[in-house]
Amino acid sequence: MNDELEINAPGVDAAAIVEEIRAAVERKRAEGAYADPCVARAERSNLTNLQNDDDFFDFYMSCLRQAFVVDINDFAIIERRARLGKLLVILKTTIWKLLKFYTYRLWTQQNQINGLLLSALESAEQKHRTRVQALEERIADLESKQQ
Amino acid sequence: MEEAKHIAFVVPRLADGSVVGGAETLLRNLAERAARNGCRVTVLATCATNHYTWANELKPGRRTVGDLEVELFPVDDDRDIETFLAVQNRISAGAKVSREEEQAWLRNNVNSRALCAHLAEAGDQYDVMVTGPYLFGLVYHAAQVHPRKTLLVPCLHDEPFALLTAFQEMFTSVRGFMFNTEPERRLAERLYGPPSADQVASVVGMGLDDFTVDPEAFAARRGISSPYLVYSGRREPLKGTPILVEYLEAFRIRNEVDLKLVLTGSGEFPLPPALVDHIIDVGFVNATEKLEAMAGALAFCHPSVNESLGIVLLEAWLAGTPGIVHAHGEVLRYQCESSNGGLWFKTYPEFEEAVLLLLNSPDTRRALGQAGRDYVLREYAWDTVEKRLIDSLNRAAQTSDA
Repeated sequence: MNDELEINAPGVDAAAIVEEIRAAVERKRAEGAYADPCVARAERSNLTNLQNDDDFFDFYMSCLRQAFVVDINDFAIIERRARLGKLLVILKTTIWKLLKFYTYRLWTQQNQINGLLLSALESAEQKHRTRVQALEERIADLESKQQ
Repeated sequence: MEEAKHIAFVVPRLADGSVVGGAETLLRNLAERAARNGCRVTVLATCATNHYTWANELKPGRRTVGDLEVELFPVDDDRDIETFLAVQNRISAGAKVSREEEQAWLRNNVNSRALCAHLAEAGDQYDVMVTGPYLFGLVYHAAQVHPRKTLLVPCLHDEPFALLTAFQEMFTSVRGFMFNTEPERRLAERLYGPPSADQVASVVGMGLDDFTVDPEAFAARRGISSPYLVYSGRREPLKGTPILVEYLEAFRIRNEVDLKLVLTGSGEFPLPPALVDHIIDVGFVNATEKLEAMAGALAFCHPSVNESLGIVLLEAWLAGTPGIVHAHGEVLRYQCESSNGGLWFKTYPEFEEAVLLLLNSPDTRRALGQAGRDYVLREYAWDTVEKRLIDSLNRAAQTSDA
């Protein structure tokens, strides 16, 4: 432990812990641990990062790629009412099984729209990124010539 | 204290009972401490108690509240709310507004002509006028009455409103500032330039009294047997409530841990159906119960990126509980870095790792909580804060005499 750490708080270094957390996250991300639609959903309120952090955009796009397909799997039907609760669950589950087939057309179309929007967003971002990079190189070139 | 004999504290609302906004609490505490240190203090506030309606609910006039002389003035009732909101929405969206629109927004903001008239008539009796937070029309207009006597407690945030020309002028014209934290002081310098030679600029903050509570009392009373995160304060998007709720949902899906979230404070917020049984919303509770909830929590989670002090985080540290804050919340992150009392996250995966670390390593949790507690006792003990407060008031009084 160095002197600086001891001045702040002997025995614990929050910045070092955060660095360790980030290294662990990078490692797990490379292994695909966060390729999970629920991670993408969790980030939808964290868009403040988009304004402040270039890396976040890449992360968020990778989240969107995991999340743009609508989940059409069966889901747990919960009934909070104690009276007739079990009966209602059976009734709702039966209705869902009978009708879910008719939702497929809707979800297919929604998935297509989501996929197209995501592709458009990625293309636009790539286009702007290339353009900004070219402009920055041009500015640097002009500045070096001026000097 | 000879120089700063009579101090006026000009605030939109008097913190009392259910009026517990952070800025109001801060200014009331500073007023009380100034009074205890020999200053004659008068609090000048509006008759409003509700920060949504700003209706005049209290009777105007003089009264004594605790140790303080208080004089209440009516809020102007001729506000054009439509104009106010139209400009406010544009400013919030980052649009450039004209000087006339800025003035229209300030004119139709929360104001009290009666209070400003009192300052104009009786200003000579006050040596220093302390006012804040910066975002209110009342504060802006009060600071114009005797700018060279005005000490601003801005509670400044990095937000579009801070870029208005009117505030730039207010910051350059007043006698000085009492900032809450070093990052807030740096933000003011970045936005408005360094203070001039005759301005007084110091970091004062707010003191906290140490306390002892039973860390198991809250969970026992509420029947909570799982680890929980706690957040105290207003529930709204600006405070990061949606992030907290959505992160909890993802955490519960991805990890076999029955993690709960305890919310204390006010504000309606829609809860996802899947989390109804896992978010314990206790609403507005008394101070003891709030501190007990903090003391028993795995961590105090404060995902707001717009704070100028973060009193609740300091309270959680005093309770021995570590913090988890958003990395882009400059002030809260600075406090975590300075104290080693908390961790910060930019994304959900970092949040998840931080929570898992605290769950799996009680020693780390204890060490972080202890470091936070030591920091608050060192930096935010009232003795320390009072010295900074009295020094600021003295310097402002001296320079305003000059």
